[in-house]
Amino acid sequence: MTTFADIAAKVHAGIRLDEADGLALYEHPSLLELGALANEVREKRHGDRTFFNRNVRLEVTNVCVASCRFCSFAKLERGMPGVVVMTVDDARRALREKIAGIEPPTEVHVVNGLDPQLPFSYYEDLLRMLHDELPHAHRKCFTAVEIHWFSRHYSMPVRRVLERLADAGLQSLPGGGAEIFHPDVRKKICDDKATADEWLEVHRQAHALGLFTNATMLYGHVETYAHRVDHVLRLRALQDESIEQRRPARFQAFIPLAFHPAGNDMRELPGPTGVDDLRTLAVSRLLLDNVDHVKAYWVSSTPKVAQIGLSFGADDVDGTIVGETIYAAAGKQAPNVLAVDDLVRLIREAGRVPIERDTLYRVVREFPRAAPEGAFKVRERRQGKHLRVIALAARRDVDDPGGAPTGGVS
Amino acid sequence: MKKLRVAGVGYLNAAPLTVPLADDPEVDLFLGAPAEVARRLSEDEADVALLPVAAAATIGGLERLDLGIATKNRVRSVVLVANEPLESVHTLALDASSRTSVVLAKLELLARRGSLPKLVSMSPADAIAAVGIADGGVGALVIGDPAIDLAERYPFAVDLGEAWRARTGLPFVFAAWAAKKGALDARAIEILEGAAMVGLAARDRYAEEYAAKQGLSADRCRSYLNEAITHHLGDDERAGLDRFFDDAAAARLLPRARLDLPRSAAPSLPSCADRGRDVDALVEDAAAGARLSADDALRIYRQADLFSLALAADAVRKRKSAPDVVTYIVDRNVNYTNVCTTSCRFCAFYRPLGHEEGYVLSREIFRQKLQEVVAAGGVQILLQGGLHPELRIEWYEDLFRWIKNEFHLGLHALSPEEILHVARLESLPVRTVLQRLHAAGLDSVPGGGAEILVDRVRRNIAKAKCTSDEWLGVMRTAHHLGLRSSATMMYGTVDSDSDRIAHLIKLRELQDETGGFTAFFCWDFQHEKGTRIAPGDHGTVLYLRTQAIARLVLDNFDHVGSSWVTQGPAVGQIALRFGADDWGSVMFEENVVSSAGTTFRMDAERIERQVKSAGFRVVRRDVRYRHLGPLSAPLPTGAS
Repeated sequence: MTTFADIAAKVHAGIRLDEADGLALYEHPSLLELGALANEVREKRHGDRTFFNRNVRLEVTNVCVASCRFCSFAKLERGMPGVVVMTVDDARRALREKIAGIEPPTEVHVVNGLDPQLPFSYYEDLLRMLHDELPHAHRKCFTAVEIHWFSRHYSMPVRRVLERLADAGLQSLPGGGAEIFHPDVRKKICDDKATADEWLEVHRQAHALGLFTNATMLYGHVETYAHRVDHVLRLRALQDESIEQRRPARFQAFIPLAFHPAGNDMRELPGPTGVDDLRTLAVSRLLLDNVDHVKAYWVSSTPKVAQIGLSFGADDVDGTIVGETIYAAAGKQAPNVLAVDDLVRLIREAGRVPIERDTLYRVVREFPRAAPEGAFKVRERRQGKHLRVIALAARRDVDDPGGAPTGGVS
Repeated sequence: MKKLRVAGVGYLNAAPLTVPLADDPEVDLFLGAPAEVARRLSEDEADVALLPVAAAATIGGLERLDLGIATKNRVRSVVLVANEPLESVHTLALDASSRTSVVLAKLELLARRGSLPKLVSMSPADAIAAVGIADGGVGALVIGDPAIDLAERYPFAVDLGEAWRARTGLPFVFAAWAAKKGALDARAIEILEGAAMVGLAARDRYAEEYAAKQGLSADRCRSYLNEAITHHLGDDERAGLDRFFDDAAAARLLPRARLDLPRSAAPSLPSCADRGRDVDALVEDAAAGARLSADDALRIYRQADLFSLALAADAVRKRKSAPDVVTYIVDRNVNYTNVCTTSCRFCAFYRPLGHEEGYVLSREIFRQKLQEVVAAGGVQILLQGGLHPELRIEWYEDLFRWIKNEFHLGLHALSPEEILHVARLESLPVRTVLQRLHAAGLDSVPGGGAEILVDRVRRNIAKAKCTSDEWLGVMRTAHHLGLRSSATMMYGTVDSDSDRIAHLIKLRELQDETGGFTAFFCWDFQHEKGTRIAPGDHGTVLYLRTQAIARLVLDNFDHVGSSWVTQGPAVGQIALRFGADDWGSVMFEENVVSSAGTTFRMDAERIERQVKSAGFRVVRRDVRYRHLGPLSAPLPTGAS
């Protein structure tokens, strides 16, 4: 039986955690001990530096041939109520509207439904339009699910799809569509889109072509903790491979996405709790020893939980996210957009140092460390601090009857 | 030049140190009760104070002069008396206002008998009377003039100065000139030492004047001031003071403390063990149950690592209540009127008398609401309203009796502000109002309106509201009558972090005195709805830190509740790992009438899921935090 102390010792010695460790971490009863250990790793990697960017979202079609049960966004077919399909010119206008009066974003993030009636050239035109409109904004577009579907629908190898899109201006891939890799779960929630291997193959090809990518995990629905661990380890294996093969690109950030139950086929499920959000961030940080960044995505977890998440393994809060519509359709509680000032404050209130980054994590602006008035002062970091915390906690272990959560989310 | 603001206790024994200051043009002198002296120093309204040493330990981080109030042996003005051996006394009547003497008495009793009798606070005269009236088993701690030579009149009496000497071989220090670090500069020292030189030479005169004014024997007052009391604190006194601090900290009666001379003034003294103690060591002490001074609490609040702080709060929470249980209550918040005579700027709810939207709930509506509560398995109603200028005390009494007769519900009703309003309206003492309402069925007093119990803050945010002392006074009286109450703190307006700590210390001191608080809740000021929701206006991390430090400071509170209503369910749940053991109440939607039961069950179900998912058992409770069984009503089907 792996104890928490064994795992903590492995982390301190720099020994990679395995599947059993991951499961033991999810089932560890003390959220605080888990958080402290993840925080230690996060601070070793990034100190107090905490990243955000200025990004704009664009979703040009919500027509989708896939029938993911967790989705509140897709409208399946043209003619159905709520369907939005933009021409490239519509998209240009929508983009201009979104960014009117704000500082130009450094990133445009585009994800869509799988719309069978659009020609491939539409996506190339779309990328060129983005380049025309915002030549300095990084184009992070199309999930691996979309790329995989393009390959099928337009009868081109994945590599060819990526090359043509890169020629048209694509610069990196977002991490969406990963959901939960395990086939038992995929069968239940998204039976008719890219499989785990297909999703991973798109990212493999992207890395080989020099396109950096992100990775996500949609948690808190029908999956178990074991499925989450399996998911993260598959990502870790591909990252290992991309590093070993010296591919010019790799995964930059891992983003756990909380399942939101409103407006979709799985609305009878409760969705994850705040404690589960933190636990997932922390275990992910500890398992993914080869991915630089773990993101507390404020849109899915709310800014309040994201702020706490910055002490539970996360070092990034995503960005201003102008124009998000996917979580909005699923009944999110977070506001629609955060200004740079809001993000800077959110990070500072967590006792961290805000860094505005671009998509590739190059520093755009550094903000001085400044505690808001009346708030606590940021402590000084000392060597071995968390060893003390763990020691303090370990003394309680014997008389701590706080039971483990009942495992998995059923 | 700015005047030196000096506060001192106004007793005869302090006269040689304080009286000459009244004539000093450089001094702004205040003389008053120990609690007010401590408050002034703590809240920076005084630069230096002749401060009882218990208050010095509670504030923490202070320095002193070698001038104060001490006794080498018999003190005569602090005595325990009884008609039987103190070992067999079951109740001790005492004047709680002198905390130093109370702590000294507790140490003496613990040393003699290993446990404390029940403590009941009352005036010295009432305390003396109680010993005579009661059948037996009652003792009194008497302090001040009434104590002088009282010992001779009882078969069993202990002079606490004499007993301390016998037990420790050391003098006892009651008070000393003290100030925050850096405030005892050359000018302050010169002023205070100069005054002492004048005052010590005039002891006989002060004693005689005092005797004449109080109708006491001049001889006795002279000998008291010259012989029983010493004003110079030498090495023996320092040792006595350190011993007192150590014993009190070991018994968890006071924070671990030292009160030393400023370093520059005493280079030869060894540096005290506590100075600059590592914050992590402070946190570990607090986790183990040590009492925190305001100064230490502030350091932890500001500087401790988030996880150390949380683990310590979690450790304390596990000792204070069932370690694996989180409770909640099924109740309903009913606002009996929105008519209010005050017009707080931040309030959108209240209407002036005569306004067309003003209302007072009718019995019919009350009946309907309460029936829904009962049908949903509710066990309490929380009844609060505006300060209605025409609702007389009989209206409340009738309502309470009717509720108690018709429904079996706990009555958690009328915050201190409303109690004070009724008292003013009826020209009745608060005590009488509370007695009458208690008799009519009131069970407990909600702790709302506490905001921050620092008057500088209260005047700024809600001028019309009661003062800190009034709020605390209502709660003290309620507790004395056997009522319970909750305590709250709303931070994040114009308060500083040290104001929040001061608030917590005031609650802790009243709880020491009465034990009447059930639980503590805090939240940050919520900006009016409709504005864009900013990402944590004061920070969610700050909320967690605030709740955790409250759990550490409030070492005499059994329960701390998380405020999911203001922070949202996700943060409310996470807060269960930052010191909270209670989820508060089910949100009972006011506007849902026909399907109210459904709404409640959904919410109770959701609460239970949140609590279980955080790793706790969930148990319903009543107003006094007693555990109740599970809801028997079946869950409705198709509730979505």
